[in-house]
Amino acid sequence: MVLSQKLHEAFKGTVERITSPRTVSAFKEKGVLSVNEFVIAGDNLVSKCPTWSWESGDPNKRKSYLPSDKQFLITRNVPCMRRVASIQEEYEAAGGEILLDDEDNDGWLATHGKPKDTKGDEEENVPSIETLEISKKNTIQSIPSYFGTEEEDDIPDMEEIDESDNLVEEDPATLQPTYLVAHEPDDDNILRTRTYDVSITYDKYYQTPRVWLTGYDESRMLLDPELVLEDVSQDHARKTVTIEDHPHLSGKHASVHPCKHAAVMKKLIEPLIAGGLEPQVDKYLFLFLKFVATVIPTIEYDYTMDFDLGSSST
Amino acid sequence: MSSERKGSILQFATFQSSVDEGFWHGLCSLKLNKLKTDESPISITGFYTPCSNPHVSNHLNLLAESLPTEPSDELQTAATCGNRNKCSVPGTLYNTNTYEGYQSLDKKSLLKAEGKKIWDDIRSGKVEEDSSVLLRFLIISFADLKRFHFNYSVAFPALALDPPATLVDLKPASEWFTAEEVESVSACCNEWRMSCLTADVPFFLICISSNSHATIRPLKDFKACQHEDHKILFAFYDPYHGPSNPGWPLRNYLVFIYVRWNITKVPFLCYRENRGFADMGSSLVGEAIIEPSQGQDEMHVPQVIGWEVNGKKKVSRHIDLSTSMDPTRMVISAA
Repeated sequence: MVLSQKLHEAFKGTVERITSPRTVSAFKEKGVLSVNEFVIAGDNLVSKCPTWSWESGDPNKRKSYLPSDKQFLITRNVPCMRRVASIQEEYEAAGGEILLDDEDNDGWLATHGKPKDTKGDEEENVPSIETLEISKKNTIQSIPSYFGTEEEDDIPDMEEIDESDNLVEEDPATLQPTYLVAHEPDDDNILRTRTYDVSITYDKYYQTPRVWLTGYDESRMLLDPELVLEDVSQDHARKTVTIEDHPHLSGKHASVHPCKHAAVMKKLIEPLIAGGLEPQVDKYLFLFLKFVATVIPTIEYDYTMDFDLGSSST
Repeated sequence: MSSERKGSILQFATFQSSVDEGFWHGLCSLKLNKLKTDESPISITGFYTPCSNPHVSNHLNLLAESLPTEPSDELQTAATCGNRNKCSVPGTLYNTNTYEGYQSLDKKSLLKAEGKKIWDDIRSGKVEEDSSVLLRFLIISFADLKRFHFNYSVAFPALALDPPATLVDLKPASEWFTAEEVESVSACCNEWRMSCLTADVPFFLICISSNSHATIRPLKDFKACQHEDHKILFAFYDPYHGPSNPGWPLRNYLVFIYVRWNITKVPFLCYRENRGFADMGSSLVGEAIIEPSQGQDEMHVPQVIGWEVNGKKKVSRHIDLSTSMDPTRMVISAA
């Protein structure tokens, strides 16, 4: 981790320890969530999109300001059929006009699909950790592959042992995976079957939800966080999305940095208020996940597309 | 795939494991603080859920909480509500102290022993009270705590019918049911999945009355509903997504249905979801035919199979977590 980022993490940690969590609602004014509102919004997400559930996580990492059985939200085994680069190529080939259907027209949706040379105008709208004065370069540590490369592995290969055990059972009632019988999968087939565990934690410092990604390759082995960045919109990959310790789970995970979440949420809520709707805090996470989908457009987690944030829907 | 053909051998899609990083972190601290050099098998818990997306299968997840918890964790006793996304599967972990020990474990005998537990639970009727015991799993591992390398193999023991069951018919539930039945079965499955008491119960009965009204009953009610004028389907949470085969849990389920209730024509429902709700388009209904095995007495434990192979047909897997577990790196990241 870069020194300035580490210093900021230490500062943030101290502030989190000595300040009490937000209790007064300010999501309409500031786009932030109180702890209570996070739980309300999380309960609503779990009931509308049941692939999400609350987790209690590691007892040693439990946050006292959240209910012990509602520490964070998670949805597991979310498919990610293709790499972001492939849709960005398609998009740029199509003239760089529309990437996602952009009903909101808020600017931030459209910008990340723009051709690279127009990057200048996205800075104010796209969440970015640049405001933390973190060097744009090298914010991501280079992490070597999780999977033992042959040369550094002094453990003998198991292959012969397995075969001598004859454990690969010949059983007529076992379906052989099709790619084994047909042909070895080419790269494309492997890439299509990545899966993700997506989790949402409450960030006490920024008073917003925060999204974390744990990737798995086609054989359900942990994906190097560096490779996770292939599934992040390229304009966010090395700025907004960083690799850090998860507050409740073990290990390093890719995370959408929350420093601009409140500002973006405020921008999304304002037009609703202007349109005469009364935004409801329990729908905050649907709107939030819709925004996160622009950062990780190919990870197909569940959130209701056709919702109405205002009270008129109830 | 030829499995839709009439009378073909019923082929089951294999279960797959997915071990998260927290499991290995948890195993390390368990070994250092509690097990030390003890190599006795440990009871652990895996988690699975019905297929929830038409493109990918779900897996058996091993997480940090799969391992035995510290007694200080009071939450375990408080959690009485089943988590619909984490149906418990009982498993056994054999963690060895040395790589040589790992290599020399007798995988066939361990698998057979685990299969015997399933067989005993089928015969004793325990399955009717707690159906999750039909789904046991087995993991053997060697954790190199100096280098943070882990070698492991996972098995999903399945009792093999001899001769194998054949398949009469298999099609999407939406084609098999009438429109009224689709609606009624979906509604009662969603209710079953939303209820605290049943959300994590993976095997159940769907009873459909002559007026197309479906109800769900637990396995232990079979004798009672057998005499009612209902169509009965043997349903289970299917982690597999493909349209031409049922998933692995049906294997031991069929053995149970045959051995315990002596049924040879088994209509079954592979229950699958889309976005967390019953999906009759991807759920499958089929009928399995079981031939009585020749010259085997009741006491005989069927052949047990189920070691998981990876893409290269190897049983053993290897993961290197030194980047996230090496203390010097951890000190740096914690600073």
